[in-house]
Amino acid sequence: MKPPAGISPRPPWRSRLAWGAAVALLALPLLVSSPYYLSLLVMVFLWTTAASAWNLLGGFTGQLSLGHAAYFGVGAYAVALLGSRFGVSPWLGLLAGAAAAVPVALVIGGVCFRLRGPYFTLATIASTEVLRQVALNWRSFTNGAVGLSVPPLFVGVSRAPYYYATLALAALTLLVSARLTTSKTGYWLQAIREDEDTAQSIGVDTARYKLLALAISAVFVALAGGIFAGYLSYIEPDIVLTVGLSIQICVFAIIGGLGTVEGPVLGAFLLTIASELFRSSFKQAHLIIYGVLMIVVMLFMPDGLLGQYRRWRSRPATSPAGSKGVRA
Amino acid sequence: MKKAVYLALVASLVLSTVVGAAGCSKGLGKEVKLGIIIPVTGSQAKFGEAQKRGYAIALEEINKAGGVLGKPLALVYEDDMSKAEGAISAVDKLVTQQKLTFILGSYSSATTEAAASKISGYAVPLLIPTAAADSITEKGSQWVFRINAPSKVYASVVLDFMNKVAAPKTLAIIYENTNFGTSTAKASKEQAEAMKIKVVSYEAYQAGAPDFKPLLLKVKKENPEVVFFVSYLLDATLLMRQTREIDFNPKLYTAGGAGFSMLEFVAASGAGKDAEFTTSVTQWTPDVKWKGAKEFAEKFKGLYGTYPEYHSAEAYAALNVAKDVIERAKSLDPKKLREALAATDIKDGPFGPIKFDAKGQNTHTMLVTQIQGGQFVTVYPESLAGAKTIYPTPAWKERK
Amino acid sequence: MLSFAQILISGILTGALYALVGIGLTIIFGVMRVINFAHGELLMVGMYISFFAATLLGLDPYVSLLIVAPALFVIGVLIQRYLINPVLKAPEFNQILVTLGVGLVLTNSAQLLFTADYRQVRTAYSSLTWGGNLAISVPYTVSFLLALAITAALYVFLMRTDLGKAMRATAQDREAARLMGINVERVSMVAFGIGAAAAGAAGTLLMPVYYLFPAVGEPFTLKAFVVVVLGGMGSVIGATFGGLILGAVEAIGSLYASTGYKDAYGFVIFLLILILKPSGLFGRSRV
Repeated sequence: MKPPAGISPRPPWRSRLAWGAAVALLALPLLVSSPYYLSLLVMVFLWTTAASAWNLLGGFTGQLSLGHAAYFGVGAYAVALLGSRFGVSPWLGLLAGAAAAVPVALVIGGVCFRLRGPYFTLATIASTEVLRQVALNWRSFTNGAVGLSVPPLFVGVSRAPYYYATLALAALTLLVSARLTTSKTGYWLQAIREDEDTAQSIGVDTARYKLLALAISAVFVALAGGIFAGYLSYIEPDIVLTVGLSIQICVFAIIGGLGTVEGPVLGAFLLTIASELFRSSFKQAHLIIYGVLMIVVMLFMPDGLLGQYRRWRSRPATSPAGSKGVRA
Repeated sequence: MKKAVYLALVASLVLSTVVGAAGCSKGLGKEVKLGIIIPVTGSQAKFGEAQKRGYAIALEEINKAGGVLGKPLALVYEDDMSKAEGAISAVDKLVTQQKLTFILGSYSSATTEAAASKISGYAVPLLIPTAAADSITEKGSQWVFRINAPSKVYASVVLDFMNKVAAPKTLAIIYENTNFGTSTAKASKEQAEAMKIKVVSYEAYQAGAPDFKPLLLKVKKENPEVVFFVSYLLDATLLMRQTREIDFNPKLYTAGGAGFSMLEFVAASGAGKDAEFTTSVTQWTPDVKWKGAKEFAEKFKGLYGTYPEYHSAEAYAALNVAKDVIERAKSLDPKKLREALAATDIKDGPFGPIKFDAKGQNTHTMLVTQIQGGQFVTVYPESLAGAKTIYPTPAWKERK
Repeated sequence: MLSFAQILISGILTGALYALVGIGLTIIFGVMRVINFAHGELLMVGMYISFFAATLLGLDPYVSLLIVAPALFVIGVLIQRYLINPVLKAPEFNQILVTLGVGLVLTNSAQLLFTADYRQVRTAYSSLTWGGNLAISVPYTVSFLLALAITAALYVFLMRTDLGKAMRATAQDREAARLMGINVERVSMVAFGIGAAAAGAAGTLLMPVYYLFPAVGEPFTLKAFVVVVLGGMGSVIGATFGGLILGAVEAIGSLYASTGYKDAYGFVIFLLILILKPSGLFGRSRV
């Protein structure tokens, strides 16, 4: 069994650390005015949101979706389409995107959850590809590959409003994620991850809980997509609806530590910063390094950075990786 | 072992974060510095490289001739990773970290849209050499200037040309499902319909499909007089090869630049003989009668072994425009640079005359080329033409 | 009618190449239960080897199969030995991430070494056709026949040889196979090697008719997934028919509906099959 993340009582120094971090993050834009660093953190928070939301389904419930770009795209396109076609405020667009993500998640989930393991993963990829093709070819509505201009969420050059908006969204996602781990629902979700058949046999409505996890996850990813669209001020299918984006979202969570509240934060932070630095210092080699990093982490610390750290801290109680067993 | 790897990883990540944060330079004064955004990595890296070569030749020439404002010119490149968010990060970095006040770039429409949307907030001018989406300058930001022609000009020049040469009643449009392809095709369709030319086929395709026969056969059934392609290089090669295989004989093959105006397209390793007689609208050709175009083309060939594509020429021209602007502004103050940009009036240069309209769009004259005897020759407009259009295109079976 | 026949033929010829890519993926999946996300990248590596064999050694792309297949086999064995075997017991997330990482490293190494330039090999027969008005492409036909021959050879190998039987046994039940004295690790290496070689061979067969750049593989990975699911995961015969069906559907779909949706047709069928007959057209039930 995995050490049940988040259930263990927290030592007082940790909550103090959390408060300290919160204050520091809130005060940061007052100290660092450079838009460059703030934009970097905006991306960190957006990826934290998307990765944590993905983690609700992928980490806690054990359903490896490689199709979360679908919800990101729905959020982004809601803001862009409502704004450019109907002149709707991007804030309303953001809410509409979050709302629209739920039926989309239910349809995709309804199809894909009929399958398990690798079949489920492949089906999520296919669903997102179909959405991408629709966005590309339904030109009269989506403008196809030409893309859409997106009304900005905040006017002006300062990145601070985006910083606070994405920080708040990331914090909210983490809060939901933390609450979920200790709630009854969270417990059922983890039961599904550990053994879906057993969970079903003890009376968990696994289909319903999986859909619930997907819907919550989709809402947050859509919100991240909506803010991202406003931040870019321009979107096209190949920016927000790609398999590459789906993969990126889950990589943050897995490298950071699957099924933990803090793992996706760690993954999003380290990988976004690392990618930026590799880009400027290693030029073309930076994606090679990124790939090597993925392989090394998976080979040597299969539970991600955080999982590995926890494993050392609670050494006697650990078990080898793969206790979950491979599903058919 | 595991622990060592783990610690090494975490340490290197943390260390690189700290080093990266500390290592931002702010060199100003000794040199005149410009910011350049290009894709070095990602799917557009090839074009970033082409642009970099153009910039490098211009830089070398400018510094050899004494630099600008008596100081050597220096370029600060930022990679946008072929991604829109990368372009924003690049703008932020160049403007706020490097304190640069004049930016050139980027390559694709998506990255340039993103960069343009942020540049206005900084009140720093952006000079665009390549991105073709109409919307970039139509937003009317006073800080955004573009030297290349946008996609609707591709459409209007192609239609004027085909009307003059072929006066067709029917037209087929086959285009790649990308930003450039879709917007050019859409503008062409609208303008064709306004000219009472019937668009009998209007087909998008996904780039990189190995087999175009189903698409081409479908278009062939409609029997169009003119076929208009908007395609990148290798699709262009495959399309022409396969039109021959299915013996598809419209009176004229024409294209919206991109693949159809690349030198590799005519080469034996490209479409080779199948490319003969195809026409294409383009931003620039190595043989165009503009001042300095030929010299640039030859210098480029001496350095890199092939003639430049228009991407390199656009970058080369853009840096020369930037130099002209700085010299007239006599400073690097962004407001003065902007005024100087708006007042630009270059009568003739390697990219033709340069003059920006109220929206910052250069009224660039586009050219139409035809492949005759394995060479690109300029056939339209007549004032810049080196030869006459061969029309109608001989049927495949009548060719030698 | 003529154009329908032409389109169907061209779709089926392309489909044989899809099938070969899919067969590699299905063998790897069948034996290891690992979805190889680097599959298209292996195809890309095969194409580069074939390209350099043609430009540096003057080898015809079809002849270079004799170099590409063994080279990719070795690469596949090494990947399995050092990267996949260690994570075989880990959750499938980790396996997928390792293969994704391998794909990322391969694509970007190719870009660093060979630049992002597009390349192609043009042969004397590149634009030859046969069949009169049907105008069937000669290189596509050769590729089609070679792809079928390779598939048949693989099938015989799996059915008739001891190693092939050991692979099938491992695919059916890894632990039971181990208890029977089969060296499962070795069988896995061979399986990954064969899978990689099939991907490389498909790349080589594409070389005379297609082009090459570092990111050429990604769409083929997706197509391979479709092919494999169509035919039933783990089934070689299934993947063969899956590939042919996908090729035909794409071609006919482009004729009667929009060509822009060409790639979507495959995915829609993919989802339909997953929902209606999740075991694929030729596979055993899996739920």
